[in-house]
Amino acid sequence: MSAARLIARKEAGELLLSLRGLSWLMAVAVALSVFGLLLVSNTELSLLDNAQVVYDMVAIVTALGGLLALVVGLDAVAGERERGSLVALLLTPASRDAILSGKLGGIAVAWAVMYALALPYLWAVGSTGQNLREAVTILAVLGSPVVLGFGFFGMALGARLATARTALLTGLIGLMISASPLLLGPSLRQSAIGRAFDVINPISAAVNAYDGVIIDSQPVLGQWPHALLAAAWLVLALWLARSGFRRVAR
Amino acid sequence: MLIEIDGLRLSIGGVPILHDVRLALGEGEIYGLLGPNGAGKSTTIAAALGLLKPDGGRVRVFGKDPWMAGPEIYGGIGVVPEQNGFYDWMTAEEYLAFFAQLHRRDDGPNKMREQIAAVGLEPRPGQAIGTYSRGMRQRLSLARALVAEPKLLVLDEPTNGLDPRGRRDIHDLLIELAGRGVGILLCTHLLDDVDRLCRRVGIIAEGRTVAEGVIADLVRSERRLARFRLRLIGQPATMPTEIRHVSVVAHEGEWWIVDLDPEVTPDAAWRELLFRGWPIAEIRRESGGLDELYLALTERRAA
Repeated sequence: MSAARLIARKEAGELLLSLRGLSWLMAVAVALSVFGLLLVSNTELSLLDNAQVVYDMVAIVTALGGLLALVVGLDAVAGERERGSLVALLLTPASRDAILSGKLGGIAVAWAVMYALALPYLWAVGSTGQNLREAVTILAVLGSPVVLGFGFFGMALGARLATARTALLTGLIGLMISASPLLLGPSLRQSAIGRAFDVINPISAAVNAYDGVIIDSQPVLGQWPHALLAAAWLVLALWLARSGFRRVAR
Repeated sequence: MLIEIDGLRLSIGGVPILHDVRLALGEGEIYGLLGPNGAGKSTTIAAALGLLKPDGGRVRVFGKDPWMAGPEIYGGIGVVPEQNGFYDWMTAEEYLAFFAQLHRRDDGPNKMREQIAAVGLEPRPGQAIGTYSRGMRQRLSLARALVAEPKLLVLDEPTNGLDPRGRRDIHDLLIELAGRGVGILLCTHLLDDVDRLCRRVGIIAEGRTVAEGVIADLVRSERRLARFRLRLIGQPATMPTEIRHVSVVAHEGEWWIVDLDPEVTPDAAWRELLFRGWPIAEIRRESGGLDELYLALTERRAA
C-alpha cells in the first residue's frame, strides 16, 4: 500500500475511531438534527416553500462541512504537531507530498462521512418536494470543492501558524467571513460590496448555485461559473496547504 | 561516520541558537550529547535529521547533507523525539505495523509482537495506546524507532519516565544494539546513563560545543579525578600503592577515600580491587568524573 493511502487510512481511523473524531461527528449530527427539527417543526419556518427549506438545509450542510473540514485539516497538522505525533511521521521515508496527500485524503473522508450523514436529514426535510435529487447532486458538485477547500485551508493555517489555537481562531474567522452570505439579508448582498464579495467568495459560489438549482430549478450544468470559482478556491487552498506543509518542522 | 557535524550554526526566526557545534558518531558507538536546558541539544538533533536548515557549517548523515537528501535517508534512522505523541486509538501492534509499512516493510504481526517484547512492553491484548502509562509510551517510542532496524538511532531523553528496572532494560538493549553495529546518539540530562553507556560525549552550552571526545580524556584534561569513598569489611590484602590507577587519599576507620585515574572506569577499578583482596561492602562517589566535568564546563560558560 502506498504511503499516501496508509496515511489516509490512518486519518480516517482518527475520525471514525478516536474519541476526538467521533465527538466532532456527533456534534455535526446534533447540529443537523437541531436545524432539521427547526425547519420541519417551527411554525414560521414550516410555512416556507419546500424548495427553500431544502436550500436552507443544503447551505447549512455546506457551512457545517466547511467547519468540520477546517477543524480536521487544522488538527492533521497543527494538532498533530502539538501532540508530538507529526514529527514521527515526517521522519519516515514517506515524502512530504505523500504525507500531504494522505492527510488531504483524510479530509475527503471527513466530508464523505458528513455528506452521508446529511442525506437522511435532506430526505427528512425535502422528500415531499421535487428538487431533492438536484439538491443532493449540486451539494456533491459545488459543495465538495468548497468544503474540501476549507479543509486544505485549515492545513495551510496549521502549517504556517505557530500554535493550533491561533490557527483555529484564524480559520474560524475566515470561515465566518466566507459564510456571511448565509447570514446577510438579500439587500446587503445586492449592495456593491456584497456583489464584489460574491464574486470571490467560494461559499457565495455554492450558495448561488444552490439557489439556481434548488429554488429556480436551473440545470446543474448551468452552474459552471460558480463551479469555476469553487474549483479555483480548491486549487488555491491546495497550493497554500502544499507550500505550507513543505515548511512544517523545518 | 554515521553523523558528522562541524561548525554548525543555526538560527530560528532570526534568533541565533547554535553558534559552533561539532560531533562525530561512528558505527557501533553510543555518543552522549549533553548540555543544560536550552543549550541547543534538540536543535542540533533537528539539524542532524534535516528538520532545520543550518545557516552554516557542515552536517552529514550517512555522508549526505540531510537537508538536501530525500526522505529515503530516514529509512536508516530510528528516532525517539523529546516530545512523544501517538495515535491513542491504536493498539501497539497496529501502531508499529503502520510505521513498518511507512518504512516499506511487510512485517507480520509476529514481528510486531517481537518488537514490543524487545523493549519490555507488555500491553493487555487490544489495549489502546491512550491508556498507556508514561513509561509504556516511552518504550513504545523506542519500539517505533527500531521498527525499521535502523543503522542510526537518535534518542532524545529515551529513559524519561522509566523506573530503575526500565532504565536498566533500555540500557541493556542499547548496549546490545551498539554491539550489532548500530550508532546511537543519546541526548540526555541523566549523567548516570551517559557514564554507563557512552565512551565519547559532546557537551553543548549556549549553542557551542565546549567539550567533545572520550570521557576519560576530557576528565583527565580538566584534571577532574573521580573521588570515591569505599567501606571495607576488614583490612585490604594488598597495599594501595601496588594498584594501578587507584590512589588512596585518606583512611578513616572502615572508610577509605580513593581517587581513580580518568583512564579507568569505576567498574573496572572495583573489579581490580576486589580481585586484589579488597573486601568492599559499599561505594559512594565523593566528587569528580563526568558530573564535575559537566558542571565545570557548563558553569564556566554561564559565568
